[in-house]
Amino acid sequence: MRRGFLVSLVLVSSLAIFGQTPAKAPAKNWTAPKTPWGDPDLQGMWPGNMGVPMQRPEALGTRATLTDAEFAQKEAQAKRQAEADSQSTVASDSRPGIGPPSYWTERGTPTRQTSLIVDPPNGRLPALTAEEQRLRKEARGGKGFPGEWKGEAETYADLNIYYRCITRGALGSIIPVVYNNGNQILQMPGYVVFRNEMIHETRVIPLDGRPHVSQNIRLYMGDSRGHWEGNTLVVETTNFTDSDAIGSNGAGYPGDPGHHSADLRLTERFTRVDANTLNYEATIDDPKTWTKPWTILIPLTRNDHYQLLEYACHEGNIAMGDILSGARAEEISKKDSK
Amino acid sequence: MQNLKKTIIAAVFPVVAMAQTAAYRAPRAADGHADLGGIWQAINSANWDLEDHSAQPGTMWQTGSIGAEPAGQSVVEGGSIPYKPEKLAKKKDNFANRRTNDPEAKCYMPGVPRGNYMPYPFQIVQSPKGILLVYEFASANRFVNMGKPEEAGSDTWMGTNNGHWEGDTLVIDVTGLNGLAWFDRAGDFASNQLHVVERYTRVDPYHITYEATIEDPSVFTKPWKISMPLYKVVDKNAQLLDFKCVEFSEELLYGQFKKQTSSTK
Repeated sequence: MRRGFLVSLVLVSSLAIFGQTPAKAPAKNWTAPKTPWGDPDLQGMWPGNMGVPMQRPEALGTRATLTDAEFAQKEAQAKRQAEADSQSTVASDSRPGIGPPSYWTERGTPTRQTSLIVDPPNGRLPALTAEEQRLRKEARGGKGFPGEWKGEAETYADLNIYYRCITRGALGSIIPVVYNNGNQILQMPGYVVFRNEMIHETRVIPLDGRPHVSQNIRLYMGDSRGHWEGNTLVVETTNFTDSDAIGSNGAGYPGDPGHHSADLRLTERFTRVDANTLNYEATIDDPKTWTKPWTILIPLTRNDHYQLLEYACHEGNIAMGDILSGARAEEISKKDSK
Repeated sequence: MQNLKKTIIAAVFPVVAMAQTAAYRAPRAADGHADLGGIWQAINSANWDLEDHSAQPGTMWQTGSIGAEPAGQSVVEGGSIPYKPEKLAKKKDNFANRRTNDPEAKCYMPGVPRGNYMPYPFQIVQSPKGILLVYEFASANRFVNMGKPEEAGSDTWMGTNNGHWEGDTLVIDVTGLNGLAWFDRAGDFASNQLHVVERYTRVDPYHITYEATIEDPSVFTKPWKISMPLYKVVDKNAQLLDFKCVEFSEELLYGQFKKQTSSTK
């Protein structure tokens, strides 16, 4: 009886999470593997898949998956893009900027998921608090937090922390972007290690129930503590700074700097639902920034052949010097032509 | 009494102690091999200079004795690095320009072997799927493939790492290094022909003997070797924290390109 009650509870909560989303529920004829020391085994390469927007187009309302017709259209579009990419062997966009040629970009395998955000049910970010709206307006003397780069180049601090190669933050690091979306999980007794290719981040997550470090220590990637709930790894992360960011490029989604407060509490859930699928869910709870918590879902597909490369972002950041020195040269030339 | 005597000998004669603990058997990790897992750190001044060096001022008088270089004894077997005579000038030039040119100042990944003896801890994650070395400095890391050796692809800062066990010693063969990292703040350097073979042996619960054989025929007349103990970090609740130093290096790297305010014109 008690067991039956628990099962139905699990079913209800699974429905709440998966019912409206394209996420798979755990497969019936599949037993989650264990490590030699008895923890659920999540190890492997789990690269991210491009192509699902952070926020759902408003027209789709609460619909979390594409219809057959919409999906067919998306697949056709992907096919056309792949053809265009394969023909474009030189930079098709030669305008000055910091983006790579379009054919470098990972396009991903089309899926039916309509947005990474699965809660609120409309797949869109909850409203910002009044305080956060004020902060975003007043930051940097009225210029706002640096989000997508729009050509400001008075100082390196005019570019966001991803362009500066500092970090994409704990959540930003798993959100698929342009390329190098590898994620690797390794385990040893007492630890789960989550490694992101972009920008070479590693979180060594203790499972021993130790307390978080002091609130006086702030970390771009936060301070993570993990525990198991059945076969799900639950990771609670706190101690963030207020200068990292969240979003599709680690610094924001289009038009948004992705700023959050240092009070952010990130709860991630890693669940293997079959041999090749790991569901990654993250709930972002930051009452100073958003009026209610929100949740994203990223289903990850196992790829044992994926090679995680060294993404030496800062070491290869020639763009920063070029952007700033270019802006200074432009100022001089404008002055001279007056 | 016997144990006390051993402890005293160990404290006074570390070399003898290593010989005496040769019979030490490390606990086993989940992969069945000697357990090297944990947080480790070198306690020496090799990051200042691998070779013998006297104390001397740092590069910025403004910081007084903070930032000055402590004296230290060579960790190089035989004392000095066998540079080709024509390569010594570059080392001297590196040293003269170290304030701005040392990749550590620029927060570039530390390379191999330097990451292992910088004044920051690193963690060895020994999983059944391979071994990961995670460095606090610059969030650098390197994955050690313990399966069939893989050939290096393009050159990288932390190299292509293939590992195997020789008894209880982890041997990591590192190739594909870009040679842009320095060995120390003294400007010791190599090229992208650098080949490093490291040996990690846990000699007691709190120490790993770390050795690295360094080979680069374009810079050195012969291979040379460094060795030092790595100490286990046993502080309560020890964990790696952030040392994301990019933002500490930006003014050094890009400050000259900032827009000048009227007061600085």
